[in-house]
Amino acid sequence: MGNVSFRATSKTFPGKVPVCALDDITLEIKDGEFVALLGPSGCGKSTLLNLLAGFETRSTGEIKFDGASVEKPGPDRGVVFQEASLFPWLNVWDNITFGPRVQGLKRDEYESKARAMLKLVGLEAFADALPAQLSGGMRQRVGIARVLVMSPRALLMDEPFGALDAQTRLAMQQLLLDVWQTLGTTVLFVTHDIDEAILLADRICMMSARPGKITREITVNLPRPRSIESLITPAFAAYKAEIMAEMRIAHAR
Amino acid sequence: MKWANSLLLDNRAGKIALGLILPVLVVALWQAAGPTGSLFGGVLPTPDRVWLAWKVWAFGPPGMGLNPYSGTWLDNALFSTERVAKGFGTAILFGVPLGIAIGWWRLAAGAFDPTIQMLRPIPITAWLPFSIAVFGIRDMGSVFLIALGAFYPIVINTTQGARGIDKNWIRAALMMGAKPLDVLTRVVLPASLPSIFTGLRVGLGIGWTAVIVSEMVAVKSGLGYVLWDAYYVGRMDVVIADMASIGLLGFLSDRLIIAIENWVLGWHRLQSFQA
Repeated sequence: MGNVSFRATSKTFPGKVPVCALDDITLEIKDGEFVALLGPSGCGKSTLLNLLAGFETRSTGEIKFDGASVEKPGPDRGVVFQEASLFPWLNVWDNITFGPRVQGLKRDEYESKARAMLKLVGLEAFADALPAQLSGGMRQRVGIARVLVMSPRALLMDEPFGALDAQTRLAMQQLLLDVWQTLGTTVLFVTHDIDEAILLADRICMMSARPGKITREITVNLPRPRSIESLITPAFAAYKAEIMAEMRIAHAR
Repeated sequence: MKWANSLLLDNRAGKIALGLILPVLVVALWQAAGPTGSLFGGVLPTPDRVWLAWKVWAFGPPGMGLNPYSGTWLDNALFSTERVAKGFGTAILFGVPLGIAIGWWRLAAGAFDPTIQMLRPIPITAWLPFSIAVFGIRDMGSVFLIALGAFYPIVINTTQGARGIDKNWIRAALMMGAKPLDVLTRVVLPASLPSIFTGLRVGLGIGWTAVIVSEMVAVKSGLGYVLWDAYYVGRMDVVIADMASIGLLGFLSDRLIIAIENWVLGWHRLQSFQA
């Protein structure tokens, strides 16, 4: 389970000059699919993610997650934020187990899962560290682990590697590929990085701004399992050329 | 200047020594100028006489002869400290929850903030007659003034803290299944603690001001009472010893708050250090 459906969804932010952030979005995501939203800043891709997360309310249309209308945030849709947004007063272990604890689970119900997720992101040795003692990449690993602990049916990732240096970003992309290839969760991934979108996604929704619209969908048929080695294949270059051509057209419009 | 820096700034003992130069110099000059009788027309007792007065005040036999202060220092210091503790505790009890509510809940802000902002410009000294009229010459009046004085900085700083919270922390908590009360106690409160402690330190300082003022007028015990009483009977040595005692207690209580802050907010110091 993890099916997402946007039907004729739009979002206008009220104000003196109302801003139409998203206009008439229709998007279906199948269970286990990895979809990237690719576009320049201000195209509404984060707003789209926030609507599915339940952080923002839509103006019109409908959004369904596994058949149920999305009205508020919940642990079935795990969100990974750009700056990790860990709680700085909690150590890594308490950050990772925050979800199970506020949901009222007992320690033996979540402990082994939390240990496993900590191991999956390679931070077993840092359970007692505070976020301020970690590097940006490590913090983002904690941000991913704290979401995976809740076994969400979808992962919503809002430019999660955007603030990292190039080398750390590659390592994190590889980590995410490994994790996703193991768990098979539905992923909605927001990015402005063309390479990142092609490397990770099954399908790329290209977006343009004012008003935010999905201008084109591109299915990425690179073989799985992928790794950062896929970045240097001719097939990869072909997808990149296609996307850049589309961006030039969008820019000219 | 390099040798001076390494001698006086780069080690703990040197730092303390550097800080002591000015007060030691002032006390020494004061002591030297005293016996000539020229200091403020001979009104001001020299430091050695102040020290002597404090020793009798602190350790002298109680209830003896013409010195009513003899042996009463500890009692009076405890009276004042107890009043500050009660008033300050009351201020925390009201200020922190109200500050969180005002910062977090717009309805509470609309309901309470205007009243607080209207009452705040009235100095606590202006509340003295009101306090005496309502509570009489008793402890309650003093505790009321301390609580009121400490309340404002605590509630205002707590409000600031609760307002300045990173929106994504709230979103993250909700996303992980936190209920509104969880968000309040597990996210808003800890995230506001750095501001709350700023409010506590300012509030405690005002609390000491309030206790002295109220004891001078509205109560018959404590360091503030002794201060005014000693002034009336011309015991300037006791007055100065009393002033030093108030300063010492204020300093120690502030150190106590800092110690608690360092213990509770280790994460915050680490974070500021990183930034």
